[in-house]
Amino acid sequence: MLKMENVSKIYRTELIETHALRKVDLHIKAGEFVAITGPSGSGKTTFLNLAGLLETFEEGDYYLDGENVRGMNDNQLSDLRNEKIGFIFQSFNLLADLPLYQNIEVPLRYRGLSQADRKQRVEQALETVGLASRAKHLPTQLSGGQQQRVAIARAIAGEPKFLLADEPTGNLDSLMAQQVMELLEKINQSGTTIIMVTHDDKLARRAHRNIQIFDGQVSDLEYSVADDIVKRA
Amino acid sequence: MFRYNLSLALASLQQRPGLTFLVILTLAIGLGLYTTVQTMAFYNSSVPVAHKSENLFLIQVDSREASAEPITEQVSMVDTTYKDAMNLQQWQIPGVTTSLNWNTNGVINVLDNNVPAIRSEILATNSHFFSMFETPFIYGSGWGSEEDSSGAGVIVISRAMNDRLFGGENSVGQLLRIDTLNLKVIGVMADWTITRRFYDRSFAPGYLHEFFVPYRFALNNDLPRNARFNCWSVETQDNPQFRTENLQRLLNSECSWISFWAEIPDQQLATYQTQLGNYIESQKALGRFPREPQMYVTHLQDQVNYYGNRNGYINTFKMISRLFFAVCLLNAVSILLAKFIRQSREVSLRRALGARKTTIIYQYVLEVVLIGFMGGLLGILVSKIGLWGMLNIRLYAVDYTITAQSIAHQYQLNWLLIGEAFLTSILCALLVSLYPIWRVCNISPATQLKAE
Ligand SMILES: Nc1ncnc2c1ncn2[C@@H]1O[C@H](COP(=O)(O)OP(=O)(O)OP(=O)(O)O)[C@@H](O)[C@H]1O
Ligand SMILES: [Mg+2]
Repeated sequence: MLKMENVSKIYRTELIETHALRKVDLHIKAGEFVAITGPSGSGKTTFLNLAGLLETFEEGDYYLDGENVRGMNDNQLSDLRNEKIGFIFQSFNLLADLPLYQNIEVPLRYRGLSQADRKQRVEQALETVGLASRAKHLPTQLSGGQQQRVAIARAIAGEPKFLLADEPTGNLDSLMAQQVMELLEKINQSGTTIIMVTHDDKLARRAHRNIQIFDGQVSDLEYSVADDIVKRA
Repeated sequence: MFRYNLSLALASLQQRPGLTFLVILTLAIGLGLYTTVQTMAFYNSSVPVAHKSENLFLIQVDSREASAEPITEQVSMVDTTYKDAMNLQQWQIPGVTTSLNWNTNGVINVLDNNVPAIRSEILATNSHFFSMFETPFIYGSGWGSEEDSSGAGVIVISRAMNDRLFGGENSVGQLLRIDTLNLKVIGVMADWTITRRFYDRSFAPGYLHEFFVPYRFALNNDLPRNARFNCWSVETQDNPQFRTENLQRLLNSECSWISFWAEIPDQQLATYQTQLGNYIESQKALGRFPREPQMYVTHLQDQVNYYGNRNGYINTFKMISRLFFAVCLLNAVSILLAKFIRQSREVSLRRALGARKTTIIYQYVLEVVLIGFMGGLLGILVSKIGLWGMLNIRLYAVDYTITAQSIAHQYQLNWLLIGEAFLTSILCALLVSLYPIWRVCNISPATQLKAE
């Protein structure tokens, strides 16, 4: 589970203060598939960055898997990130000059796993995303959709409890987006909690739970079935 | 984690080979010049017979006339008179040996008419010279106390002269002539790699004597005395030409012109000094030493330090090379910074995937150590070229009156200097990378990973 209590994030530049998140109270249970939507600049990425321990926050408490991360030092945060969290980015962020195998291996290396362990996990992750035969290819030899699947393989290779995805389908056409979504659903079914930011209402609606961020404030969205029908029509 | 970080460091070196090479080159050039000058300074202040340089003393007593100018510095103090040299070497103090010397010269020739004669400096000295200053020999040895008193015609020659006169053969027992005097070669010195001619107080860098004869031989045959005579004014009124004439008068005079050395063990030093003080008093009673008693018992180490620090051009070079090195290092900082900042995106990704800040630092430190190591290698190569250049400048400056062979050892790196260069290189590489590494490890993972 992931729990935020009264968390705020302010960006300060010389000219302005941006309240990117305002007093967020949120509880995401283990195994949930949460979609986050909201207008541009509303704080979605900021929320993911905080949740993923990539940024610190000024106020509030954040419990990740039961541990309060507030006041943890860099080593503790890095280790926690490595063990509990997998990231998927809109722009894939693969290392261009490394073969897929070594790309997927990165988090496992930093966890200090043995070579045999790493091999087994990388192969299994590649299997899961359907690219088992491509381990030696370079990222540039793959299509965008395939690259994103490699990124997903990297995110799940360490078997994290949480998968944080920031517009994972933003750079993909609808067919590939579809495949990626199916993959995420499959991963979620095996027990991984997924938090996904998306602009695509249709994809959002396939999640268990929809959260909207508006001007730094978080609220649950309830779709009525009627709403759904109206929109689909 | 070491192997992984090492492989990342190696990959990073290869990622922008141009930049990598530029950093290494910058480091190497700065280090090369620095090491060149360090090497010259090292030999400049290196001490001959180092292991007993604090037990080898130059002995000086002020035997000058009453009206002479006061002297406050050891280097300005006059040499020793013949009388005093003879008296002092009589002393029987356990563990103490003494040596004296002056410069002479002559035309050296051998029986083989195909070998041209050579006009050369010659050192007139005693048998202890070779043991006190530990001169190395390839053939034979120095002479003994018998030749010291008899003044027999024996001669020690340098390896270079042995090559020239006897074609490098073992020439011990061979005949050789100074002008028309016959001498027998008794020893051939190996290359005596001392950097300064300390024993005759000239401290001239480079030139060593090539011929050594018993001082008694020089006196018996009235060989010229190339010395600076410091005489009482009454003795020089008639311009006596002590260099080539009036030997007996010189020996009886108060003129000082001989370098006098004593090897004194630590525990005898106080005794020796007291005895020297008493000696001055006893001579005063005989009407000598009209001035306030003044004596210097100065060990070799002190003298070398004095000349080492006084060498102006080395000090200037040192300053320039340090400044230049500093400029190179500053330059290296900006190249490294550019190189590392290029990798921001990768670093922030690795951080997001769980690399600790310290792990990133580890990776970059490894890379920098590799750079430092290669900079060291290349820098040593550069300094070899630099030293070769300096050697040639030196030869040019003295109009090729000395052979490259005789001073080459002063332009040679040794393991100590090489080790120092490597250490300097790696430490400097780490120093210049402090800021770039600090920048790269503090890259926020979040900002770099946003969509392009
Ligand atoms: N590093 C930063 N420094 C200053 N302000 C920032 C920084 N990152 C984000 N912001 C500001 O915080 C607010 C929230 O930004 P955020 O990136 O979370 O929006 P978002 O919801 O992800 O938008 P988008 O849908 O366009 O990605 C914006 O006003 C943005 O300008
Ligand atoms: Mg965003």
